[in-house]
This record gives sequence, structure tokens and C-alpha cells, in this order.
Amino acid sequence: MAFLSDSYNLFVRWMKKVVRNPILIFFSLFQPVIFLVLFTQLFSKFGALLGPGVNYTVFATAGIVLQNAFSSAFQSGTAVVDDIKSGFLTKMLATPVNRSAILFGRILSDIFRVVVQTIIILVLAYALGVFPETGVLGYLIVIFTVAAFGLSWSGISLALGLKTKSAETVFGIAGFLTFPLLFMSTALVSTSAMPNWMQTVSNYNPISFAVNAIRNAITGCPVGHLASNCTTGFDWSTILQAYGVIALIGVLTLGATLYLFRKIVS
Amino acid sequence: MTGIIDVSQLVKTYGDGTKAVKGISFSVPEGEFFGFLGPNGAGKSTTIKILTTLLRKTSGSASVAGLDVESDAAKIRKIIGVQNQDTTVDEDLTGRENMLLQGELQQMHGQALRDRVDELLKVVDLVDAADKRAGFYSGGMKKRLDLATTLVHNPKILFLDEPTTGLDPQSRASIWAYLKQLNEQGITIFITTQYLEEVDRLCRRLAIVDLGEIVAQGTPSELKQEIGADSISLGLESSTMNTGGTREKAKQVLETKFDQISDIVNSDIGLTVYAKNGSFLVPEIVRAFDEAGIKLSSITVSSPTLDDVFLKHTGKRIRVEEVTSANYRSMFSRRRR
Ligand SMILES: Nc1ncnc2c1ncn2[C@@H]1O[C@H](COP(=O)(O)OP(=O)(O)OP(=O)(O)O)[C@@H](O)[C@H]1O
Ligand SMILES: [Mg+2]
Repeated sequence: MAFLSDSYNLFVRWMKKVVRNPILIFFSLFQPVIFLVLFTQLFSKFGALLGPGVNYTVFATAGIVLQNAFSSAFQSGTAVVDDIKSGFLTKMLATPVNRSAILFGRILSDIFRVVVQTIIILVLAYALGVFPETGVLGYLIVIFTVAAFGLSWSGISLALGLKTKSAETVFGIAGFLTFPLLFMSTALVSTSAMPNWMQTVSNYNPISFAVNAIRNAITGCPVGHLASNCTTGFDWSTILQAYGVIALIGVLTLGATLYLFRKIVS
Repeated sequence: MTGIIDVSQLVKTYGDGTKAVKGISFSVPEGEFFGFLGPNGAGKSTTIKILTTLLRKTSGSASVAGLDVESDAAKIRKIIGVQNQDTTVDEDLTGRENMLLQGELQQMHGQALRDRVDELLKVVDLVDAADKRAGFYSGGMKKRLDLATTLVHNPKILFLDEPTTGLDPQSRASIWAYLKQLNEQGITIFITTQYLEEVDRLCRRLAIVDLGEIVAQGTPSELKQEIGADSISLGLESSTMNTGGTREKAKQVLETKFDQISDIVNSDIGLTVYAKNGSFLVPEIVRAFDEAGIKLSSITVSSPTLDDVFLKHTGKRIRVEEVTSANYRSMFSRRRR
């Protein structure tokens, strides 16, 4: 009971903080939009390179959705560092607040935000002619996958934040990881366009797993089939693999987060 | 021991080896207005953090309302109000929202909570600013808001770590007056502060800590009587006081000629001398200094104050950062994070 109401109240606190920081709103909402428009326009001819009849906008939407979730996930850690530094965490800890709710409230707000961002991207993508071949259920799978992905990856930044207590470090590591992880995945190009060694990296890259599942939901095509519309429908093994990887990362990172948080609050 | 706060042989050694608290014991009866004083680094905040369940002790025992600070931490948190030394309010939330959130975390909800918040906003004089974001508050307003957030759930015991530091004299006075009122309603107050005059007027009992140990405890008047002497403050000519050896010379004169002097300590303006019936001694000191060729710039006799008590037990004068107009302005300037 206290867990639920505390989580809710702290969730509301984070939402207010986002809404009241125009710069944060700008980054939260416009960044994905800008990425979607820039990438798909800049690389509009790229589709032809990937294969005959490949529509790059459709192809890249899955990647943009994931890229956005990835960068959002790294803001969780810095927010928690802020609370440690300002003493607000200490202030909360002097109350009977449910300890787990402090983390959960933050994670909820992250998930909420990434879902809103994803919906914005999908709406814009729709305007650009992208819609799931798998229908409404496809939309739901995309959103649910992104939320799960965001949850498991925000664990990384939370754990880093709690461990280093330095927002700069979290940002630094996020920046350092973004390009290699994103570009050596199937987010923006297919493995067929990569050199051999990079194909191997991409095949093991956790980002690829999530992107493949989302892309499958959008195009209805199996992995590696680059057309924009297939009648194959859901490729459940791809989707299940994605969830397996997400769950594995989630268990590791959120486990580490809980462990580090317990150390701080006890 | 049957106090509402009981501390026995409490030790805290930080991870880096700093021995912040070295085995202190004290007991605070219910309803007390208790002052916890000491110079910087004495271990005051460390002790408060242990009592408020925010920090683990190294050894010894500590209980609040009969509850052990470690095994019963959750119960303690429901009945205490804690204001930390560093002001912490969420600057993105309004004053009212800060208080509502604090109340919710204390499991208060609905109309009862809203009424309580309205009531407290009046007390800390933040009604007009209640719906402005705390980030736009002045330093003093933030401090008052911080205090108000600790009171939302009607705590039985208040732990206040320097709640009035940095406030202008008016706000300080109004907060102390309110604390007095709370205390009269039966709330136990445990407070650290640098304002000894207020302590003298309001605290029923106090303890002085230095370097992690309690060096004195008692009521203000007991402690002042213990000094058993008036203080005579001698102003020496500043030009020669330190370099010219005037201070040393003056000390020598006093030590050799006056055996009724109980103690001599350095002060900013020269020396402070403790002696029974200080006023009778004044003419003799003036004469003796005259003969020795030491120039006095001022001489004042006063009955002992807590300042003297503090000085005697810690060898230091308490730091009170004078609020000069320059840092006053910066402290109170509107500032966004
Ligand atoms: N987290 C910490 N790690 C190591 N040492 C610490 C830590 N916190 C405080 N100390 C040290 O413990 C001692 C007591 O600190 P404490 O904050 O309790 O003093 P205080 O009496 O509150 O001083 P002040 O009047 O300056 O607030 C100091 O020497 C301080 O440097
Ligand atoms: Mg302190």
C-alpha cells in the first residue's frame, strides 16, 4: 500500500520536474522527432543500397525508436545522482517512505516518458508513411518492447549513477557507448551492408535483438528480409529472443541497482 | 535510562578512519528543549544522523522514544521530524508541493493533509509564495520551507541541525518563537545552532561536544554558574598585541599579581580574564598595567554568558558567520539551480 502510494507520489514528482524544465521537454520530445526526420531524409537513398525496393524510412523507424529509448534510459542515473548530491534523498530517507518506491517512482517516470516519446515517433512516422503491417497489435508490441528495453537499460545508468555518484561519469559513459552500440547494430543499417567482423558484433549486440523485434512488428517481415511489407506477420522467435536478452540485461542491471541502492539506504 | 532520547557510549568512526563521535552518553527527557552545541567538526551532525536513522553507528547504543535506532528505524521515522544542516527542498516543486509530498511520504493524505499544509504555510510566513517554485525562493525562504516540511506530520520529536543559520534576525526570531511554542505543546526539540543567546533563552538543557566528546552538560544557568566567575574583557592596543609581545606581557602581569584570577584566555581584542567579583579587580588591573607600561584600549566586566561557557570548555569561540551586506545579498539572491 505504502509502496504503491509512495511510488505514485514520487512518479508525479518526476513528471512535474520534467514538465517544468523546458529544456528537458525539448530534448525529450523534439530530439526523437529530429532524429527521425534527419536520419530518414539524409539517408533516403540508402534504402536502394540495402536492397531493391527497400524503403529506408520504414527500415529506420525501428532504429530511431530504439535509439531514443537508449538515450532516454541514460537520464535515470543522472537524476538519481542529483537527488543524492542535493541531499533530497537523505531527506526522503528520514521519512518512512518505502525504500523501493524511491527507485520505482523514478523508473515508472522513465518508462512513461519513453512510451510518450515512442508514440510521438510512431505518429510522425505514420505521417511519413510508416505503419505496422501487423496492425494495432504491432503498435502495442513496439511500445511494450520499447518500455521493457528502456526499463532494463535504465538499470545500467542507475547502477552507474549509484556507484560513481557522478552525473558527468554517467553522461560520459552513455556518450561513449551510444555510437559503437548503435552503429554496430541493425538499428540503422542491415548486417548485409556491414563488413564481416561488424556483422559478428551486430549479431551479439543486445540492441540488434530489440531492433529486430520492433522492425518485425512494423514490417511484418522476418529478420534479414528488408522489404517494407510482408505477409509473414509476427516472427515470434525473434520477438522472444529480444525479450530474453532484455530480461537478462534487466536482471543484471536492476539487480546491481537494487544492491547498490540498499547499500546507500541502510 | 528513561529519556525520549537515550544515547550511551555512542561511537562513530567513518570509513576513512575519522573518529567523529568517541563514546558519548546523554539522555534527553520527553518535552525537553535540548541544545547540542560544539565547534565545527565536533560531531554534532554525525550524532543527529545516527539518531535520525540516517547513518549507522559504529558501536554503543542509541534509542529514540524507546525504539532502537537500528532495529526499530522504521517506527522512529514516523514520529520524528528532521531538518538537515544543508537546506534540501525540491526546487522544481512549489513550496506547497514540497510540503504535500513530504506529508504523503509520511502517509498523510487528502483534506487533512491539505489543511495541515495551509496551517504551516501561515506559520512559516510563506502563504504568498506557496505556489511559486522553491527554486525562486530566497535562501531564508528555503530554510523556512525546509523546516515546515519537517513538521507536516506532527512529529513528537524534532531534530534540527542549524535551522536558523543564514537567516536574517527577524526570521530567526520568528522561528525560535515558533519552536518555543511547539515545545510548549509538548514536542521534544533537539537542536544544534550557533546562536548562544537563543540557546540561553530557550533551551532548558544543553550539551557541549568537542572533538567527538561531551565536555559539558547541564542547564544554561548551571553551566554559567560553574564558571563561578565574571569575565573581564581586556582590550589591548592592537598594533603591539601579538608582534610586540604585549599580550604575553599582560598575561605575565596578571598571573604574578592576581591569585584570585581563575583563568586567562586569548580573545580577539586581547585577553579575557575570569575572576570572582570581577568589578572589584578592575581598578587594580588598570593600576598594574599602568605600572608595567601596558596600554589598555578597553575594559568590560560581565557576568558569564554561554559564550564564556563555550570558550572555557572548547577553547574556541563559537563561529557565527556575520551576515554582512555582501554575502547577505548573495545568500538571499534569487537563484535557479
Ligand atoms: N561522510 C564522512 N566521511 C568521513 N568523515 C566525515 C564524514 N562526515 C563527517 N566527517 C568528519 O567527522 C567529523 C564530525 O563531523 P560533523 O559533521 O558531525 O561535525 P559538526 O559538529 O556537525 O560540524 P559543523 O558545525 O561544521 O556542522 C569531522 O571531522 C568531519 O570531517
Ligand atoms: Mg554539522
